[in-house]
Amino acid sequence: MNAIPVLTIDDVANLDGVLADFLKKAEAELTVVIDRGGNVISQYGDMTVMDVTIIAALAAGSFAATRELARRIGEIEFNALYHQGNGSHIFMNSVDEETIMITVFGPLTTVGLVRFYSTGTAQQVALLLKALQKANHGYTFEASDISVAPIFTDSAPEPTTPS
Amino acid sequence: MRNPGPLMSIINYASREIQFKIVYYGPALCGKTTNLGYIHQRISPQNRGDLVSLATAADRTLFFDFLPLNAVVIKGFVTKFQLYTVPGQVIYNATRQLVLRSVDGIVFVADSQWEKMEENVESFKNLEDNLAKQNMSLDDIPYVLQYNKRDLPNIGPVNYLEYVLNNRKKRVQSFEVVSSTGQNVFATLNAVSQILLHKFSKQSDSNRGPAAAAGAATPRQTQGVVA
Repeated sequence: MNAIPVLTIDDVANLDGVLADFLKKAEAELTVVIDRGGNVISQYGDMTVMDVTIIAALAAGSFAATRELARRIGEIEFNALYHQGNGSHIFMNSVDEETIMITVFGPLTTVGLVRFYSTGTAQQVALLLKALQKANHGYTFEASDISVAPIFTDSAPEPTTPS
Repeated sequence: MRNPGPLMSIINYASREIQFKIVYYGPALCGKTTNLGYIHQRISPQNRGDLVSLATAADRTLFFDFLPLNAVVIKGFVTKFQLYTVPGQVIYNATRQLVLRSVDGIVFVADSQWEKMEENVESFKNLEDNLAKQNMSLDDIPYVLQYNKRDLPNIGPVNYLEYVLNNRKKRVQSFEVVSSTGQNVFATLNAVSQILLHKFSKQSDSNRGPAAAAGAATPRQTQGVVA
């Protein structure tokens, strides 16, 4: 087994640079790179409007769920998915076998522009992640670093004050 | 040597977070969603996100339930646990496979009622099969067993559940639980989280050679918790 893979400060800066450039060109609001298990690898843009963790979990599920649909028409999977809303939309595209890129955008841009720039961005992200795996960085901690106290505690809900 | 399977947890040095994925697995209607519902209800709101439940109109899990939790800080890094359930119904096996992707820890929830024993065993076998398809094995993944619905009258004894479910070479911790009242729900979650963290610390040690690995914490063996 390997140590836990690590994104160093430099890795994050490099990824952020690529994602920032993409958001600027595509005029999108937020982009998140996730693994296919739903874990967030990197994110850039306006993160105040939504819980990125939940977006990542649902997007990974959505991407995987449509794989079976793709198989029915002779494809291995769809390379990209687009969810169209009234004002906000989500575009997802495959980065590599393990990674997906999600882009949230609004009325300032078009799906065509997002799709166009996301293709090149995905290739750049894939190269960065490949280099990361080769770099073999690893985060380590000792068993003694883990507290013996319960990690999660069952706390009763706050009593409601009578009105 | 076996392929280690998909990428597991990843650490972001910029956000100083470690993410772990725990999956609640088990047969239909065994109480997986009830576990997450209780945890969501009782954990401090600043340490949790929203509980996302993709269920049918009849409250059966269609896709998965998802609950993100923030936990302890280790060496300056916040640990984030993402809890998932799988749909228990037999037909949703493809969904179970995708939820298991990059899993770090598993809680197998068994229904203690006599008439559910066959479904428990089938679901456990299904878990082993689905992990094998992703080049993973229960030999490598931290997991605990939860014997749920201990408050019902028609339940099998714990010894029997241990005999049918906890019979792998390495026996694991098991918990008697009543998820509807929360009895031992947190004990189960804490146990799998602790084992998971120790596994990663051990994993780190193993990179430094056999001598260091030998000194690492050993996983705890079977421990029945009776309320």
